[in-house]
Amino acid sequence: MSDYVQMWKDLGMDLETHDLLCQVLPTAVGDVFLTQENRPKAMDFWDLVISEVHGIRPAELVKAQAEGRKVFGTFCVYVPDEVVIAANGIVTGLCGGSQFWVPGGEAVLPKSTCPLIKASVGARLGKTCPFFRIADIYVGETTCDGKKKAYEILGEDVPMYVMDVPQMKRPEDIVRWKGEIAAFAKKVEEVTGNTITPEKLAEAIKIINARRKAMKRVYDCRKSECLPISGRDVLLMTQISFFDDPVRCAQMCNRLADELEQRIKDGVSVVPKGTKRILVTGTPLAVPNWKLHNIIETSGAAVVCEEMCTGTRYFENLVDESGTTLDEQFMALSERYMKTNCACFTPNTGRIDDILRMIKEYKVDGVIDCNLKFCCLYDTEKYAVTRALKEAGVHVLSLETDYTDTDAEQLRTRIGAFVEMLNG
Amino acid sequence: MADIVRWYILFANYEQGMALHDLLDRHEIKNRIAPTPRAIQGELSCGISLLIEERELDAARKCIEENHAPHHSIVPLAGQLKSHRDKYC
Repeated sequence: MSDYVQMWKDLGMDLETHDLLCQVLPTAVGDVFLTQENRPKAMDFWDLVISEVHGIRPAELVKAQAEGRKVFGTFCVYVPDEVVIAANGIVTGLCGGSQFWVPGGEAVLPKSTCPLIKASVGARLGKTCPFFRIADIYVGETTCDGKKKAYEILGEDVPMYVMDVPQMKRPEDIVRWKGEIAAFAKKVEEVTGNTITPEKLAEAIKIINARRKAMKRVYDCRKSECLPISGRDVLLMTQISFFDDPVRCAQMCNRLADELEQRIKDGVSVVPKGTKRILVTGTPLAVPNWKLHNIIETSGAAVVCEEMCTGTRYFENLVDESGTTLDEQFMALSERYMKTNCACFTPNTGRIDDILRMIKEYKVDGVIDCNLKFCCLYDTEKYAVTRALKEAGVHVLSLETDYTDTDAEQLRTRIGAFVEMLNG
Repeated sequence: MADIVRWYILFANYEQGMALHDLLDRHEIKNRIAPTPRAIQGELSCGISLLIEERELDAARKCIEENHAPHHSIVPLAGQLKSHRDKYC
């Protein structure tokens, strides 16, 4: 990707260290994605993006900034993209999914912090990710203690704005989140210099709803007994959707969904009939974290759904488009976002309801509940999730992992045994 | 067992790569967009390459020649794709 060296220099990146990351990416992409046979043709788009992951989209963002637009880096599906887009801003996801960045995070954070947070901080402080360099401002949120403290550290290095996510879902909490969205809108206006009008916000709501609908079409295809796409490919699509242009993202997802729907009609499956269908639930899998999916799908099973932030939580539920005032629209946004069932809420029984519903919708044979190490919230919820699944007669495997390769063999053993048990 | 040899078509930029990808697709020559392995990238300025199987090599060369399709080189490389390697990034 040396075509972009000048851009990376201009962004103040550590080129020598970044080059080490560029060396390992092709091997991982090859092993995880290009070893698959009979992939949908429309995956070409995501193959291109991941091949030039630190080149094409960063160059677009830099060009947009030169034209006066501002880039907002975010870490959570609770931050409403609509507000940024309404002010002609651009959103890019910033969650770090690589072990490469973890040591940089551990230089300033306790080792007992989750790898996603450590990698995110390491990517910024180590100057080895263009997205972390490009963002004009980071938008954090209070979804866990580790993130809150990490944002304080990041805030010493980059402009930082933190949204206060409620911890409960009472009616007054939805009103409070609406207030947080309104306050965020003021900040976005200040950063961009643009006014958010009801007309612009209505348009932005439609854009993001269109992305949600397109992603849902792809996911709906996975409900078919004839499975037209692997879990690895859908995971890549979802991961990249966090930093792609939302209009193009919707176009590409719809193009993929068209092909998948045709494949179902033609009886084209990526796995043999009878392959056990797995729902993965838990903490997000930020790009390039493909370990879990790759191990599951090279152990004789197929991932058919992800109940996680890099999955259904990102696109389920639409924002009501009927609001004509900012007040109505902020409320509509709050109502939609507060339907997302994150483990930071108490109680969070809605997540269990979601999992049980998805098991039926996606014809799931077994659930893998996996959290990142040191994510106390999701780790604790395993108790209630496992109990509910056992009561429903659904097989469940609970796992904990991080971004290192060192537990891959152990994961292969446990997942292999789980799939064998499902196969009876 | 010896590692499988696959062939990578390299480019000066991704626009060239995408143009050839479309061309090969039109001629029904199986090819896949791949990040260029560092072992063969050299000083080239492009992150993408087109991955083709050995059985498609002659057809790909013929198609490139007949259409004067811009590209840098076609390079063999063994042992690149291993689904159980478990080396992530």
